[in-house]
Amino acid sequence: MHPALWISKTGLEAQQLDVSTISNNLANVSTIGFKKDRAVFEDLLYQNFKQAGAQTSQNTELPSGLMLGTGVAVVSTVKDHIQGNLSNTDNPLDWAVNGEGFFQVLQTDGSIAYTRNGQFQLSSTGEIVTSSGQLLQPQITVPTNTESISISQDGIITAMLSGNTTSTQLGQIQLATFVNNAGLQPLGANLYKETTASGTPTINNPQQNQTGAVLQNTLETSNVNVVEELVKLIETQRAYEMNAKAIETVDGMLQFINQVL
Amino acid sequence: MDKGLYVAMSGAKEMMLAQAVHSQNLANSKTVGFSAALEQSRAMPVFGDGFPTRVYSMTESPGTDFRAGALLVTDNPLDVALPGDGFLSVLDGQGKEAYTRVGDLHIDELGRLKNAVNQIVVGQGGPIAVPPAQSVTIEPDGTISFVPLGASEPVSQILDRLKLVKPNFNNFVKGEDALFRTRTGAPLEPDASIGVIPGALNASNVDAIGEMVSIISAARQFEMNVKLMNTMQEDDAQASTIMQMNG
Repeated sequence: MHPALWISKTGLEAQQLDVSTISNNLANVSTIGFKKDRAVFEDLLYQNFKQAGAQTSQNTELPSGLMLGTGVAVVSTVKDHIQGNLSNTDNPLDWAVNGEGFFQVLQTDGSIAYTRNGQFQLSSTGEIVTSSGQLLQPQITVPTNTESISISQDGIITAMLSGNTTSTQLGQIQLATFVNNAGLQPLGANLYKETTASGTPTINNPQQNQTGAVLQNTLETSNVNVVEELVKLIETQRAYEMNAKAIETVDGMLQFINQVL
Repeated sequence: MDKGLYVAMSGAKEMMLAQAVHSQNLANSKTVGFSAALEQSRAMPVFGDGFPTRVYSMTESPGTDFRAGALLVTDNPLDVALPGDGFLSVLDGQGKEAYTRVGDLHIDELGRLKNAVNQIVVGQGGPIAVPPAQSVTIEPDGTISFVPLGASEPVSQILDRLKLVKPNFNNFVKGEDALFRTRTGAPLEPDASIGVIPGALNASNVDAIGEMVSIISAARQFEMNVKLMNTMQEDDAQASTIMQMNG
């Protein structure tokens, strides 16, 4: 019917998707280890209605043409992997990574997933697991007669066993880093999966090669900035309204021509 | 019949096209790095014998608003904003150099530096490929440095420098793929006076209020043209009744 109707429709769709992204960020404002998303917009292909430089007569040419765009599209949503705030807890199994590294957890299908959520717990057999029961990799088993457990910044886990005066080393945890963090595929439950875009993981001990230190009694909070999200929400709502207004205006034009002629 | 009907029709039809240009700008009021299209109408006189009244209108897009959009701070080390007249060089679909302000960069699985719409970023030494690195930073002058993976000490090495250009805007046009090129397609030389702002992006430079006003103005102008068409229709109807015989 009229290109402007469809162009504005793409605008409405894009803003709608952006609101979903913002809502998801706001919903996860207190999710430990959550990384915020940002929708990436792209202007769609242009159609050349009148070519600039076309001959208007034998000796003259059109100095400027008319190119009509076809609207906007959301190309992707990108996770922003900047560091979240670190908050202190009293749980010795609350760990945070202060750097680029990811904890590795074993999924039920045998593949490895990656997470920044360091809220670990002990399973009934003493293994260190995530809050949904997936094993931390490399696997570490805590003996039953453990009085206290501690982890050094470079990832060595030691336990003070009852009756002992010196602590026993239980193992070493390792962190994964990726060339392109933004390429990781979010699986939900704070987990990420490697993809061809993220590249293969590089496994290192903490504090080596940008992995960062592991901090005990600490959690990394969501990196969502509430004020920023609310401002984005206002901006998106207004952009939505303006696109709706453009549709209304074009609709009014078409209605007018139908009535008058 | 009065041919003025066609003049009014061309006015209404071209206003519809103008409406599409403004809708496109509004739809992209949040697209990072977007530059608004300008729109204007031009008189296209077609004078023949008789009284010179046949001036049709034509909507055209005489160019693009090249002002840099507002800065959007993201704190992402690979995001760059281009203040002033600067443009970033990327490769288009044909592998030729083109220019853009879409500066949310990332490194893909092959180590190539790309922007958010997956165009390969060009440095002064050609397309930029980043070796496996612990960290990559972009300096305000566009220099890209990295700390190689596995380095015992975090000593950064210089990789390349973004090819930042300062185009002559009289000779700089937007293509169908939303990338900019010179009118002849010849590549531009890097300009040392152009820098980037790392950790920020260029917001869309669309003036949303201006576009809204233009949409309303175009709608009213359209209505006036339709009204004229209506008047001419009535005139014609009147003219044909004058000669009617009263039976």
